[in-house]
Amino acid sequence: MDPAGPPLSSEVVDPHEPAHLDLIPFGIIEPMISSVVAANIQAVVGLFVRTHPPSELPADAFITMRNQYDAAKIIHTIGQADGGAPFKLGLIAHDLCIPILTYVYGESQMGGSAAVISTARLFDTRQEIFYQRIAKVAVHETGHLVGLAHCRQIDCLMRFSRDIEQLDRLPLLFCSVCEYEIARQIKRFINMGTAGK
Amino acid sequence: MAQAMQVLVVDDEETICLSLAAWLFKAGYRVETAGSGQEALTQLKQRLFDIYLLDIKMPSMDGLELLAEIKALQPDAAAIMITAHGSIQTAVASMKKGAVDYLCKPFDPDELSLVMERVAATKALKDENEVLRMQLMEQQAAFLEGIVAQSAAMHAVLADIEEMAPSNAAVLITGETGVGKDLVARMIHLRSRQAQGPFIAVNCGAQTESLLESELFGHERGAFTGAVKARRGLLEMADGGTLFLDEIGEITQKMQVALLRVLEDKHFQRLGGGHPIDTQFRLICATHRDLLQLRREELFREDFFYRINVFSIHVPPLRQRREDIPVLADFFLQKYNQETGKRIEGFTQNAMAALCAYPWPGNARELRNVVERVVVLTRGRMIGAAEIAFLEKSADACDSDGLTLKALEQRHINSVLAACEGNITHAAKRLGIDRVTLSRKLKRYQASLAASGEIK
Repeated sequence: MDPAGPPLSSEVVDPHEPAHLDLIPFGIIEPMISSVVAANIQAVVGLFVRTHPPSELPADAFITMRNQYDAAKIIHTIGQADGGAPFKLGLIAHDLCIPILTYVYGESQMGGSAAVISTARLFDTRQEIFYQRIAKVAVHETGHLVGLAHCRQIDCLMRFSRDIEQLDRLPLLFCSVCEYEIARQIKRFINMGTAGK
Repeated sequence: MAQAMQVLVVDDEETICLSLAAWLFKAGYRVETAGSGQEALTQLKQRLFDIYLLDIKMPSMDGLELLAEIKALQPDAAAIMITAHGSIQTAVASMKKGAVDYLCKPFDPDELSLVMERVAATKALKDENEVLRMQLMEQQAAFLEGIVAQSAAMHAVLADIEEMAPSNAAVLITGETGVGKDLVARMIHLRSRQAQGPFIAVNCGAQTESLLESELFGHERGAFTGAVKARRGLLEMADGGTLFLDEIGEITQKMQVALLRVLEDKHFQRLGGGHPIDTQFRLICATHRDLLQLRREELFREDFFYRINVFSIHVPPLRQRREDIPVLADFFLQKYNQETGKRIEGFTQNAMAALCAYPWPGNARELRNVVERVVVLTRGRMIGAAEIAFLEKSADACDSDGLTLKALEQRHINSVLAACEGNITHAAKRLGIDRVTLSRKLKRYQASLAASGEIK
């Protein structure tokens, strides 16, 4: 990692650039959304993000009866991919679910390598709000990737949001305990020299 | 709390099991999964869980059968049933068999979160309640050790308690102040069928009639000036337990009638209230007064007296059971050693003899206070006679049982005169009266002694 800190730009396409997290858009995703996600993960979590060109939507993850994509299958697909950064975050505009839940804003492997978020239920006519919601869900799921569980503090981004209003009330910040834990996990992760190339 | 809750997810569909487990893991629960009822029961032989999420429809053993097995092993288990749409009737049936809630799959994340939080909070409260109840029972058991009995008289009291405790009948405890009537009441409660219920103690002598009425019956909002909100009465709080009315001889006849009605009807109304409130409690009353005498003087209602005096226990004063003094003194010594962190080993023979000789007008309460005082003041490893010498002075001062005011005055004047070596001027000054008054009193005493034939 660059001692001066990672660049805030998400326009990283050079596959040889070292990165901690690969951001993988699926289907048609507005480039600005990718930039917002990458910039916030870098700024809030401290992981250097490399944004990939858009990938095709994984057809086998589509559940026709529910008209939704299975988040678990997308995560499995992302996680199976060889190489790249140790963390991978998928970005999709379609609605996501898991078999037991009617929908999810995002899903991740707790302490694992892959996660995915959907923008489908986060839309707001006010663009600023829309981008904030996407950034919050992306940072929240990245927190799970790093190993954090849900937090009970009302002013912590790792708190579970029951609905969009609760998500809007959350700050784009962690509480001091979660912040400390994230910093500790990332320090351990960097010391292990696991940053991908 | 929720973070430490152990959850077992049982579902024959692996994807359901895994996705639910992953979600719960992220929510901070410790999660295990089982693919069938049999597998779940195998896990249950190793360990129990706080919350169970059970799919209703499973091959071989369905969720309802598994629920019955879990409840047999762990009656307080919190089980949430998972069902498909269209099987809600089965889910409702499962709740009648002890499940705490059900979820129709697929469920909304907010619904899952709400149900889990509610069940976890209820489970945590129940556990906390159980722990507190056990602590309370331990405290009460330790408290009861305060009934230290060596004498035949107290053994008879304890035998009476054991005999009458299981009954629901009212008990009247009589005895002097400080003999431990409240301890006897608590012991009856703890040995009774209401032991799990509350023990509500009220000192009737410490309150005015209107305050006592409000305390016992409670009141509705606006029942009287200052009743800014409704309040439950102690009669209501004692439901399912024991109501202990101390100093029952002090209550007014009006209050006796009101209480008699509650005892007869098993219900009452709050002050300013319109609807009857049912209550079932065991009544224990205590008094240091002679209720029979009060009844004769028509200060205590006969019907109320018989209602509260189904069983009676008389706790004898300490001076009538001197064998209890050494064991009680040792018991209080250990208690105050613990409280003060001291390591006093005991009383010297002389000190114990002095304790046993003292009349203890304040009974066990006075003995307790004396031991507390000497434990604080003693610096050595044993409590000697010197440490309790103050008792002899108190004994002299309080050895006045049966004396009239006149006789007591005479005794005091004589002792002051003796201290002043017969000098009337000095004695009058010390007594705070003038010399002429003292001389007149002395003449009067001599005249009365001569009349009674003591001076010839």
